[in-house]
Amino acid sequence: MGTTVTLSQNEAAAEECLAAINSRFSGSGVVASVERHSNAKKYAFVRITTPAQHWQALAKWMRFDLGANYCSMITGTHFPEGPPERGWEVAYHFLRQPITNQIPNTQTVYVAEKLDGLLIPMEFEVLIPLENNDSPTVPTVQHIWGGADWNEKETWDLVGIKFEGHKNMHRVLNPHDSPEGFHPLQKQHKIRYHEHNEMYDDAQGFGRKTTDEGRVK
Amino acid sequence: MADTGENFAAFNSRALVEMVGGVTDEALKVTKIKQFLSVLAGRFFNWAGRKSLFTLHLGIKCCAIEMAAAATPRFDGDRFGVLFRSSPRQSDVLLVNGPVSKKFADKIVRLWEQMPEPKYCIAMGECAISGGPYFQSYNILEGVDTVIPVDVYIPGCPPRPEALIDGFGLLREKIIRIGGAPSSEREGEKPLIVGDE
Amino acid sequence: MAQMWITMGPQHPMTHGLWTLRVKVDGETVVDTEAELGYIHRGVEKICESRNFTQVTPYCDRLCYVSAMTWANSYIYAAEDLLEAEVPERAEYIRLISAELQRLASHLMWLGAFGPDIGNLTLMTWCMRDREMFLDLLQELGGSRMHYNYPRIGGVKRDIPIGFADRMIAKVKLFEHRIDEYEMMLDESTIWLVRLQGVGYANAEEMVEAGVSGPNVRAAGVNYDVRWAHPYSVYDEVDWEPAVEKPTSVKGADCYDRYRVRMEEMRQSCRMVLDAIEKIPGGKNTNYANGDEMIFQKAPTRAPEGATGFSNYECTRGASQFYIQGGGEGRGKNPYRLSIRSPMFITIPFVAKTMIGYKVADIPAIMGSFDPCIGETDR
Repeated sequence: MGTTVTLSQNEAAAEECLAAINSRFSGSGVVASVERHSNAKKYAFVRITTPAQHWQALAKWMRFDLGANYCSMITGTHFPEGPPERGWEVAYHFLRQPITNQIPNTQTVYVAEKLDGLLIPMEFEVLIPLENNDSPTVPTVQHIWGGADWNEKETWDLVGIKFEGHKNMHRVLNPHDSPEGFHPLQKQHKIRYHEHNEMYDDAQGFGRKTTDEGRVK
Repeated sequence: MADTGENFAAFNSRALVEMVGGVTDEALKVTKIKQFLSVLAGRFFNWAGRKSLFTLHLGIKCCAIEMAAAATPRFDGDRFGVLFRSSPRQSDVLLVNGPVSKKFADKIVRLWEQMPEPKYCIAMGECAISGGPYFQSYNILEGVDTVIPVDVYIPGCPPRPEALIDGFGLLREKIIRIGGAPSSEREGEKPLIVGDE
Repeated sequence: MAQMWITMGPQHPMTHGLWTLRVKVDGETVVDTEAELGYIHRGVEKICESRNFTQVTPYCDRLCYVSAMTWANSYIYAAEDLLEAEVPERAEYIRLISAELQRLASHLMWLGAFGPDIGNLTLMTWCMRDREMFLDLLQELGGSRMHYNYPRIGGVKRDIPIGFADRMIAKVKLFEHRIDEYEMMLDESTIWLVRLQGVGYANAEEMVEAGVSGPNVRAAGVNYDVRWAHPYSVYDEVDWEPAVEKPTSVKGADCYDRYRVRMEEMRQSCRMVLDAIEKIPGGKNTNYANGDEMIFQKAPTRAPEGATGFSNYECTRGASQFYIQGGGEGRGKNPYRLSIRSPMFITIPFVAKTMIGYKVADIPAIMGSFDPCIGETDR
């Protein structure tokens, strides 16, 4: 009660971030805007679209000057029928969390309404569209955020987007002996029984022949 | 005994045991006591085995939480003799309570092979029976019975702890019937499904 | 002394889920670790591209199976962002009550699994017995003990039953005394204190930089909670405070702080639930029919291509996010891409590195205190 970040604080913080980004990166292909959620309390967040070659510079600036210290999610999407300049897209989501190390036996009590400037929590979304070819590549930000490490591994494992400069890339969710080049979330891979209208033809699934017999030696 | 190079002045205890055992065995066979004793011992081991089904402590997914709930004060599987053991070498029942992924398939077969006979497998929950809600997935086997022979199926997503205890009850009835037959000789046995009757 | 790798393999009573932790030990000290996940990777993100938005809700229940209601709510907020749906206020109160009851049940499951790791088997029986109280309440709402499929895009599926409020108030008030019993048993137990204090330090800045969030970070003395920082639902109208613990050392929070944070969170959840049920619009003893406009507003079912939805939600183990892109099969009835952010996916490798320098016997304590749940990790 009385400890929630208010809408006006949130909007002011978003506008501040937008102004900072525009003053630093305007004219280089980095486009930023303040968007609003349509859910919950309809708060604002900052969306940035950038070409891949400026990503590492933008990332470093965001981390240290804008305060986006929490890399939360990296999503890769495959658009095989998209326009030639957007065949793949990598979406990064960051949060700005006002967290500092505590002196032992003390804690920080934020009175949310009194936060200002770089302390106001903010969400950032960075979209990087990539060309519609067979080898999408994005520079890595593994050295900037620790949380980007396993997120990049997962994006490569599932979607197939390569992260240039990423050390120790390996499969995390699929088995290690998956075939080279098998990235299940690409659109040409269909799930099993994709064409089978099982709800109407065979509700109990008795007619399905399992493909896994004898799978294990 | 002399030509095996042993000290033939001392009694070779192994040969003594074999000789006495052989004589006793013949005597028991002739008087049909052996038949009586083996039936008695078989019944006894069957009774002891089905009243103390040691289950492997394997928790794959959501049904493992219901398995844990079945061990807790409200439902209490322990009063039926169902105890959880950490090592497959010491357990009788492999309770598969979740989907088996391609990465885990080799390992679950290995766990099954490490269990000594007589052993039983219970497939708990939809994911273990047929893949469940993930039957279309690229990484999940369509049921654990593609790799391991299953004795009892417990449908549900997740099945209530009462259903799991009922599944153990069905397994006990099956053990009365098939006794200590090793799992490779149970081909003709129809697997039981909880709720079928 | 010789060093060797030990595999605490997928089947292990301590690991609380199916994953492998390989530790390199030098005698009794842990020198290096490696975590291997993916044993229950179900490909939920791919399957959900062939389901329409309402059919995705049961899959989200099964992500983190111990706290199903919070994950279903998290997805529903993202879908409402995508489809631009409005939610009536009574539904928001019911969602808050169901999420906080689920948080109580989840923390009790955590404590019930954590106790035996430290050696206290009594906790398992006590906690699971108390968890049954909350599972009964959630069963009245959702119909099942786990996996309720309860929230809908635009509201909730059914209203709180008549008498639910009285039963819930009685059970929660009883439970507040039970928390005192737990603290009485544990906070004075030498074994508990010796095994948890001084073990598994992790400081706040490192955790945030690595992507850890939720009670694990609040144990290091910093008051950050998605419920006040990026508010949703009616948390700003209900009486509560985030549960924060003071770290005991300059190295950060140890296992004991993380345990205390969750006990305090249980008290705060009790407080929230008791307050919310009194303030619920429409009264706590009324029951509206399914689909009534007090609890549900019909939402659009198609999302055009190019629309995106994002939700930031405080799940029991951290901040979970969903990112949905519209324009999928069925002319937008299905999501084109559903991406799930699981807090535990990032926390488990971080925890594997936290264990370096401690003894092998500390591994269960450290691992359990971070509260892993593999269902959400492997998606």
